[in-house]
Amino acid sequence: MSEKNVLLKIRGLKIQGYSDETWVDIIKGVDLTLHRGEVMGLIGESGAGKSTIGAGAMGYARDGTRISEGSIEFDGMELTTASESEKRALRGARIAYVAQSAAASFNPAHKIIDQHTEAPLQYRLKKRMEAQEDAIDLYNRLRLPNPEEIGFRYPHQVSGGQLQRAMTAMAMSCRPDLIIFDEPTTALDVTTQIEVLAAIRDIVEQFNTAALYITHDLAVVAQMADTIKVLLKGNEVEEAPTEEMLSNPKEDYTKSLWAVRSFESPQRYRPKDSTPLIAVKNVDAAYTGGPKILDDVSFDIYEGMTVAVVGESGSGKSTTARVITGLLPQSKGDVLFKGEPFPPDYRNRNKDQLRQSQMIYQMADTALNPKVKISEIIGRPAQFYSGLTGVELKNRVDELLDLIELDPSLYYNRYPPELSGGQKQRIGIARALAANPTFIVCDEVTSALDQLVAEGILRLLDRLQNELNLAYMFITHDLATVRSIADEVIVMQQGKVVEQGPKDDMFTPPHHPYTDLLLSSVPEMDPNWLTTLLEERGVDNVGDAASAKITDS
Amino acid sequence: MGDIAGLVGKRLGLGLIILLVISVIIFFMVELLPGDIAQAVLGQGATEENLAALRKEMGLDQPAIVRYLGWLKDAVVFDFGSSVVTQEPVTSIIGERFAKTLFLAAYAAVIAVPVSIVLGVLVALMRNSIFDRVANVLTLTSISSPEFFLGYILILYFAVKWGMFPAIASLSEGMSFVELLNRAFLPALTLVLVVVAHMMRMTRASIINLLASPYIEMARLKGAPPLKVIVRHALPNAWAPIINVVALNLAYLITGVVLVEVVFVYPGIGQALVDAVSKRDFPVVQACCLIFAATFILLNLAADVGAILTNPRLRHPK
Amino acid sequence: MELTTSQFVIGYYTFLLGVSCFGAYTNKRQVFMLAFSLTLVSFVLGIVGGAAALKAIAICAGMLAIAGMISFGFREFLIQIAEGDFGAGIRNSGSSSVVTLILVAACIVSGVMGWGFTEILIAITILFVVITSLNPETAKELRTAPLTAAFGMFVIFTYAVAGIFAPWIAPFGEAEVISSAFAPPDENMLLGADQLGRDMFSRIVYGSRNSVGLAITATVAAFILGAGAGLLAATKGGWFDQFMGRFADVIMSIPSLIFALLMLSIFGPTTPVIICAVAIIYAPRVFRLTRAVAGNVVVMDYIEAAKLRGEGMWYLIRREILPNSTAPLVAEFGLEFCFVFLLVAGLSFLGLGIQPPTADWGSMVRENATLISFGDITPLIPAAAIALLTVAVNFVVDWMLFRSSGLKEQ
Repeated sequence: MSEKNVLLKIRGLKIQGYSDETWVDIIKGVDLTLHRGEVMGLIGESGAGKSTIGAGAMGYARDGTRISEGSIEFDGMELTTASESEKRALRGARIAYVAQSAAASFNPAHKIIDQHTEAPLQYRLKKRMEAQEDAIDLYNRLRLPNPEEIGFRYPHQVSGGQLQRAMTAMAMSCRPDLIIFDEPTTALDVTTQIEVLAAIRDIVEQFNTAALYITHDLAVVAQMADTIKVLLKGNEVEEAPTEEMLSNPKEDYTKSLWAVRSFESPQRYRPKDSTPLIAVKNVDAAYTGGPKILDDVSFDIYEGMTVAVVGESGSGKSTTARVITGLLPQSKGDVLFKGEPFPPDYRNRNKDQLRQSQMIYQMADTALNPKVKISEIIGRPAQFYSGLTGVELKNRVDELLDLIELDPSLYYNRYPPELSGGQKQRIGIARALAANPTFIVCDEVTSALDQLVAEGILRLLDRLQNELNLAYMFITHDLATVRSIADEVIVMQQGKVVEQGPKDDMFTPPHHPYTDLLLSSVPEMDPNWLTTLLEERGVDNVGDAASAKITDS
Repeated sequence: MGDIAGLVGKRLGLGLIILLVISVIIFFMVELLPGDIAQAVLGQGATEENLAALRKEMGLDQPAIVRYLGWLKDAVVFDFGSSVVTQEPVTSIIGERFAKTLFLAAYAAVIAVPVSIVLGVLVALMRNSIFDRVANVLTLTSISSPEFFLGYILILYFAVKWGMFPAIASLSEGMSFVELLNRAFLPALTLVLVVVAHMMRMTRASIINLLASPYIEMARLKGAPPLKVIVRHALPNAWAPIINVVALNLAYLITGVVLVEVVFVYPGIGQALVDAVSKRDFPVVQACCLIFAATFILLNLAADVGAILTNPRLRHPK
Repeated sequence: MELTTSQFVIGYYTFLLGVSCFGAYTNKRQVFMLAFSLTLVSFVLGIVGGAAALKAIAICAGMLAIAGMISFGFREFLIQIAEGDFGAGIRNSGSSSVVTLILVAACIVSGVMGWGFTEILIAITILFVVITSLNPETAKELRTAPLTAAFGMFVIFTYAVAGIFAPWIAPFGEAEVISSAFAPPDENMLLGADQLGRDMFSRIVYGSRNSVGLAITATVAAFILGAGAGLLAATKGGWFDQFMGRFADVIMSIPSLIFALLMLSIFGPTTPVIICAVAIIYAPRVFRLTRAVAGNVVVMDYIEAAKLRGEGMWYLIRREILPNSTAPLVAEFGLEFCFVFLLVAGLSFLGLGIQPPTADWGSMVRENATLISFGDITPLIPAAAIALLTVAVNFVVDWMLFRSSGLKEQ
């Protein structure tokens, strides 16, 4: 890695964003050196500025941002002082970009292949026929189904995972020296993510292209990158080769990122000879006029236990929660509470039935009314169900705030927008507790949070469960969360329960093939995980292809 | 393609139903008249015999629903009965006037549509520049001014002070086309001023909305030059919003014409409507309202159908 | 010192070019662009229209500058009041909404009973609302207000004063005949007399009460109908929502002026009919917006949480939905007011608005329209009064909409 091989050299880069009538630094002086053929992972939480750096590496400032200081040198050419047309001549030809949402980033008005060949034709690198043949060749290498034909479709006629690979192919069309991957798999399901990851890694290796791989997912970046750079709020935290970064992080912040998956609550077992708290029996459900979303779903949840429901988007896990809470009355089957049937529609349930089951939401931002004080958000259920007023009510709110480890005197009179994401989620928990429930649905409660904060929430929920003997139904797509908090696991696929049982059993084979696919598709920190997996299963036995096989059988 | 035909058919059907409901509203609203039409026409001093005779003549002795169906059946072939004031057939009163109104609206549209779309796209491209802000203030001022204010200012300067165009837009048979254009220039200009302001703002908003799409950023990051970004990537997706803007403003033109016609004494259907309202000539009022409403609905329909036809996602179904 | 034409023209171009050079030298791009394009426009206009055109431009620029200065001053004035935070005591005691309600009720009772101090009560109510809503938070927002918005606020303030205190400001009564028809301005009559010999200025002042008052009443009526239905439809959903949506579609597909003419021709042009007609015509628009705004709020998880708690509809609307939809609704109120005001002015102009001898801007234009052909601008004054208020409201609304949409446009 000599100086000669340096492709991209960023020094002291500052980028500002325009908000509230002033310019604020969002990137506060970042250095970056990328060699030819090297893949660097940029990792950080939301707001770390990784995507802004990605665009900056192309000399591009999005609307409402500007590059205010520093230098960006691409292959000896200074981009901060280059003219617009000089920079334009690089884009697409020598530096290419792969966006997060392929569905939104392909122009709906043109065929995929026409968008693919746009850059090569513009730079007069190839004739149209050659460019099309090359596109088909690239589709082949990226293992897209029907490579001969898929390019002649319009973007909305192709699935998300395939579009993302087509976009990678498009980035390759001029054989650039550098590709910026901006969270290319974040919007995809785990099983689909795998094949996109494999395809990207493969093609980057084949053409020895350098890449900046931007993501918030540590396990993903471990598979893709040679070196990793960690960012926090526009500043660099540390940079090191992948192996070293994983085994021996230096900074406290990095260590905290790596450490989060350590929490694991002990496995609880079902109490013998007792009726389940919640029993879902042979439930079918559908939205008005739509297809069946749930198909003969049955499971039990016992007092004081945590049941995790896992599955990909569209598997029916959230719908199950809506049936239990009465938001979507089932078309067939029963929901029993302590052996008594729950009225299907929440409007027909009495106050005590409503009180028993509470919900905590994924997005704390939308779960709390921004115009209502914390004291009222938490106080209202206590007032509504228990009729508390005056001093009693205030004491109850204080007690609840203590329970969720927030100082009552500081938070009593504040409004949700003044709080951080983790604090908001805690308020959401307090609101659920205020009703004195026995059962709480937790809908992806940690997936919108940064990992360290998420761990805090999980520990809090576990503590509350032990103190208050609560039952949780934990909806999640994240197996690490399942491992840390669940007692029992239910795996769902396309509206059906595929497998269920205690957590210990679920993480030891043999599994139902879908559970197996799901478990094996979740990226692990081990940098060799993807390679090993592909060797074990073969390229044709991962992702959509594999799940199609399971569905057929 | 079946998808599109279905959608368009559905939209056309909906338009037809709305038109029918509106004809019901227009017809039965007159039924709410204190007393009845005969009473309103003849006034308080009318004798019982006269009233009875007029009621019989107008068919008021029949139930309302029968009269409505008869009225609707005739209205479909543009027969709106005869005026209760002059006894002339309504069609002969408003027929020619409607043509003149259409001429005025078309005159204004031919100037306004290209000008405002070009200006709208320009200010969208130069957004937040000083020109954009000036344009914003000017268009806001223009849409805030009543038509008669703009009309009288134009009369004051162009007709009275500088004598460039006639203040009164009297049209007569046998005028040459150029003469017609000259006579109708000031009313058309008034409409243009208002409509251009509306259209510019709407075009600007939809273009800015479009330029914020991720695929536009993608095109820029692929190194496409600005002109190519606009022509190849933005324009094919801009038809729906632009068609919408044009149709909405044409619809506005058709009705905004009423005030302008009064200001310039232009012999159009708007004048006829205002006269009929003050004379309480209900068959004429009903006919004018139905024509205006139908035009309005038709243009909205055209906008929606245009949006469906130019949507790439619908043009190339899965 | 008398300026000769050539001195004026030379001075004019020197000034503009000087400003352009200053802008270019200090790298103020906007100043340069403005001054330089103005220079170019002046070249063209100067050749076509001679020195008179240049003088007109100079006068316009001077008026703009004065308007700018007034707006700037007014904005600073508001900021000072807001920072003083005089309403803090009332706001913190939590009694502001109760007091406001009592004051509004008092205004209505006093107006209906014909007590003499209604004007003062209204003024106190408005002052109270403004003072309690001006706090350091608003001061921060006011600082970001563009001059156009400040200008709008100033104009609205002026109109409010003129309208409320009309009998004290106007030198003559609104229907008082004091001279011959179309008498020119003299020391008694600032703007001359109208077609019956009534003082034009007094009638303009009274018009701000009658015309604006009618438009505000009609807008409030439309809002009560439309926003009420919109909130109900968003909360209830189902067939009620569907039905109201379709119903609004039908009403909205009749052009507003035409529908108003139809209703007025049937029920006669009296004030209550105008208010009802306008309310019926504009309620569907308010309904659509409220439905859309509330629809965005209703899908929030906190609404679901409140529903699952078993809260009633009234609580949902009052505590959960309304507080989160006020900002767009206030802006929409301004926007609808403009539409209503223009519609009512149009109706008056057609002779179907407030009936004489009550002073009303729209009918004043119509009554004096003949003067235009003699090159007299009298009929333009009430028309300009209408335009100015609408522009002012639009400026303020434009700023509010921009603020609530954040920097999405960027």
